[in-house]
Amino acid sequence: MILPALLLALELTGHNDEDLARRLQNREPRAMAELYDRFGRLAYSVTLAIVRDPAATEDLVQETFLRAWSRIRAFDAARGALGAWIIAIARNRAIDYLRSMQKRIEANSLGFDPADHPRLFNDTERNLLNAEHARLLQSALAGLSENQRRVIELAYYEGLSQTEMAEKLGQPLGTIKTWTRTALQQLRAALTAGATA
Amino acid sequence: MTCDELRPEYEAFALGSAGEPERSDIAEHLGRDCPACTEGVAAALSTVAAMASFAKPANPPRALRRRVIAMIDPSAARSRFAVWLPWAVALTLAIAMASIIVPARRESAVGSRLAEAFTILNDPAAKDVAFGEPAKPARGRIFLSPRRGIVLIAANLPSIPSGRTFQMWVIPQSGAPIPAGTFRAGAQGSVVYVRSGPVPPAAAAVAVTIEPAGGSPQPTTTPFIVSRL
Ligand SMILES: [Zn+2]
Repeated sequence: MILPALLLALELTGHNDEDLARRLQNREPRAMAELYDRFGRLAYSVTLAIVRDPAATEDLVQETFLRAWSRIRAFDAARGALGAWIIAIARNRAIDYLRSMQKRIEANSLGFDPADHPRLFNDTERNLLNAEHARLLQSALAGLSENQRRVIELAYYEGLSQTEMAEKLGQPLGTIKTWTRTALQQLRAALTAGATA
Repeated sequence: MTCDELRPEYEAFALGSAGEPERSDIAEHLGRDCPACTEGVAAALSTVAAMASFAKPANPPRALRRRVIAMIDPSAARSRFAVWLPWAVALTLAIAMASIIVPARRESAVGSRLAEAFTILNDPAAKDVAFGEPAKPARGRIFLSPRRGIVLIAANLPSIPSGRTFQMWVIPQSGAPIPAGTFRAGAQGSVVYVRSGPVPPAAAAVAVTIEPAGGSPQPTTTPFIVSRL
């Protein structure tokens, strides 16, 4: 299911984040248009990949940007990574929606709303999100085992909890945890190696 | 749990797949700005954010851009399209109303309708009535300003066949229901419907029925929303 889309990663590069974040904090309506122009397509693509319903995707993307607008004051303009934050909000909304539609787990079960924690999306990570790193990430993904890839896809796109994955894949919870952790760590290692190279 | 015990769960937490009690414990550490957990979760979150580049690229419809911008700048929306908002957006709007900028220039249908909604919601005299029960699908709020009008914010309205429409009614203390306009809902049955203008005096309730397209002079079906004021 995972497809390469290096162009999308270009939209995540954070060189103008500081200026844009400050204008959003100053409540400049035009800044909202710019925020959407930079991250709207990415938020839409990620949300659609999760909920697979265009109408619901539009609602969720709209909600994502309103959330960002209403919480931007807590964002650290000097150090924050806007794109990563927007995408985290979008994905959080999408997974919540998916879970509530499937009545699997109660809504808001992520237990954490990235909209409320903009400071977790900060500078040291800002430069990881560019086309070069998307390429690195892509090859790191190819280097994962089938099981590792499976668990991060089930988590990322279908919003399965580790307990649900254990059930679905017929594996002990501890094994699922190990696959998840090592998969993400391998992706991260590829990104950070690229960042320091 | 200690930070050391939580560390192996940072990745699952960032993906949203962590179970309990780890998930709540990490959230609690983040809530008190625990440096170790903040740093570890931030790293995992940035990796998850980078995974967005795996998503198949899709182009959002152009109208979505207008919808997003119109939320905070009604004058920016140029085309005529129905004002409807996802439920959570509508609620956030209602709550965050004070921080929303409504420019003096109101050009479009959308702009003026949103501006009307804000005017009604901002009226200190506005009554605010919730409707819907957990067991019933449609839920929402009605804001009624006697001088300025009614805003209905609703979600999970039933889907209706073409040729039918939703119709709002003001029900007086005595006498027949007074028609208060027809409207359609957006995706997921959400709507923000604005009925501007003074509300008939002695209104006791606001109701919504399903009627033939164009609306009816009197309700022909049982209301599925009845909100006592
Ligand atoms: Zn900690």
